[in-house]
Amino acid sequence: SSGINAEYGSREVDESRKQEIIKWIYSLQNRPSGDDYARCGFIATDSLPGTLDSNYGHIAMTYVALCSLLILGDDLSGIDRESVVNGLKCLQLENGAYQCIALGSESDARFVYCAACISYMLQDWRGMDKEKATQFLMSSQSYEGGFAQNIGREAHGGSTFCSIAALKLMGKLEDMPTREKNDLLSWCLQRQQSGFNGRPNKPVDTCYSFWLGASLTLLGAQEFINKEANFAYLMTTQDRYIGGFSKWAGYFPDVLHSYFGIAGMFVISGEVELHPALNISMRAFRHWQDVSR
Amino acid sequence: LSSGINAEYGEWSDVTPIPLPYNDREPVVQIMYSERFKDVYSYMAAIMQNKEYSERALALTTDAIELNTANYTVWHYRREILREIKLHLESEMEFTASVIADQPKNYQVWHHRRCIIEMSGDASKELELTEETLTKDAKNYHAWDHRQWVLTQYKMWDRELEYIDELLRKDLRNNSAWNHRYFVIDSTTGWSRGTVEKELDYAAAYISKAPNNESSWNYATGIIKKQSMKYTDFSNFKELCRSLHASNMPSPFLMSTLAEMYIEEENSTAASNIFEKLKELDSIRVNYWSYRQKQLATC
Repeated sequence: SSGINAEYGSREVDESRKQEIIKWIYSLQNRPSGDDYARCGFIATDSLPGTLDSNYGHIAMTYVALCSLLILGDDLSGIDRESVVNGLKCLQLENGAYQCIALGSESDARFVYCAACISYMLQDWRGMDKEKATQFLMSSQSYEGGFAQNIGREAHGGSTFCSIAALKLMGKLEDMPTREKNDLLSWCLQRQQSGFNGRPNKPVDTCYSFWLGASLTLLGAQEFINKEANFAYLMTTQDRYIGGFSKWAGYFPDVLHSYFGIAGMFVISGEVELHPALNISMRAFRHWQDVSR
Repeated sequence: LSSGINAEYGEWSDVTPIPLPYNDREPVVQIMYSERFKDVYSYMAAIMQNKEYSERALALTTDAIELNTANYTVWHYRREILREIKLHLESEMEFTASVIADQPKNYQVWHHRRCIIEMSGDASKELELTEETLTKDAKNYHAWDHRQWVLTQYKMWDRELEYIDELLRKDLRNNSAWNHRYFVIDSTTGWSRGTVEKELDYAAAYISKAPNNESSWNYATGIIKKQSMKYTDFSNFKELCRSLHASNMPSPFLMSTLAEMYIEEENSTAASNIFEKLKELDSIRVNYWSYRQKQLATC
């Protein structure tokens, strides 16, 4: 989805190509086996046949599929909502966390975030026990104030974004106690050195401009970000010959850092509006609002 | 362990490969599969379709994993083969260790190793493995996650604080090691008043060595806040802060901690002066320090 999110990108794609892409995405949607929804959601790729028994849907792919469809102007009518929601339910664990695939995987804040985005976009929370998910996330706030991927782990910029955004989408961010919120705010702001790092005493990295920029926006703290310093750092990681961004100056650019460099810039400057929780443009979000009435 | 896939090989002649692509739709961004990739995966698809759980299938997954280490479907199928064959768990540990050495930030291999350990019940190599991984990258999130999981499940706490001491002697700015220390104490002795004092002294020693080290400050202040205690209760730590301040130590972490202490003492004037200094000392966050200053008026 990062390849087609930027406003610029989608204006360049013609209508027939958009329809082709939409068809391809839908071809990756799994159907239930009778009453068994464990396979449901979207699969990642067609490098293995979709018909294979163990080719289960993956929560991050479902999230990305929904975002991509919205960006392309689809109305989501092809989504088998019942299946997606029931598939989500299969992925939540006793402690509230989510794994990414019903066959079993690691479980952490990333997939709670995906679950929250999917539920929000479908306006259907039956696949998510929000109280348990919230408890898992809150228990993953470390002594440092940021959120870790899991209970007891190190606070990290990526998991901090996932947690704050998930809480926001679930309507639980407002319930955060004052002291915890202040510690969180302080930790997030402390990540800025020029651009942002993801953990104390680690080097800054382009993508953290988004993870922390969006986090701080969701906390209502955009005004505390030094926009000029962030922009100056991002400009050093732009490749002057190939284009795109890398995580550090002088390194080879890649799609992830190119997207998050741009998204980081936008979410901090507000020049192009980005939905800070769903991580799609406001244009795509307004389209979602239109098709979700 | 390579499967030696070759259409001419007799060993695979009974298998009809299912050729890529598996979709007649035009993809958005076509992956440039190599011939070898298409070869291996077309046989992988057939094997999985036929539900074959054999030695040669295991060897095939080795190749498939090498070509795409993030293919969780293949990793899962490999586990199903291991459950069928029931042997190989020890060599599987060697295999995962080599993949970890090659790609220490891959999620699937760490999860796979965890599954193997759950199958065998043998976690005896894990502290060594994670230590080795951390020697190459002391902050590898996966290694720390795995180590913490092993410690919680198998309760091998004996050497842990010693190991952290070692890491901090090497690099006192290793935030992961500091986090791990919090985790170990939290999971073992817990936070009695005596323990908190001891840990504040521990942090204080490192603060004195490097007063601008965010990690040591986060540790000290984090303990007090997380345990809902007060700075007032810990005179040694307060004294350290005051003496550093008296020597004009220009550390923003010192200053923000002092501000918190003054706020706790309800000394708004002193706190405000600290925030004023921070606006210049930590100028990238000038707007935040102004905000903190304004907040004092409304308390």
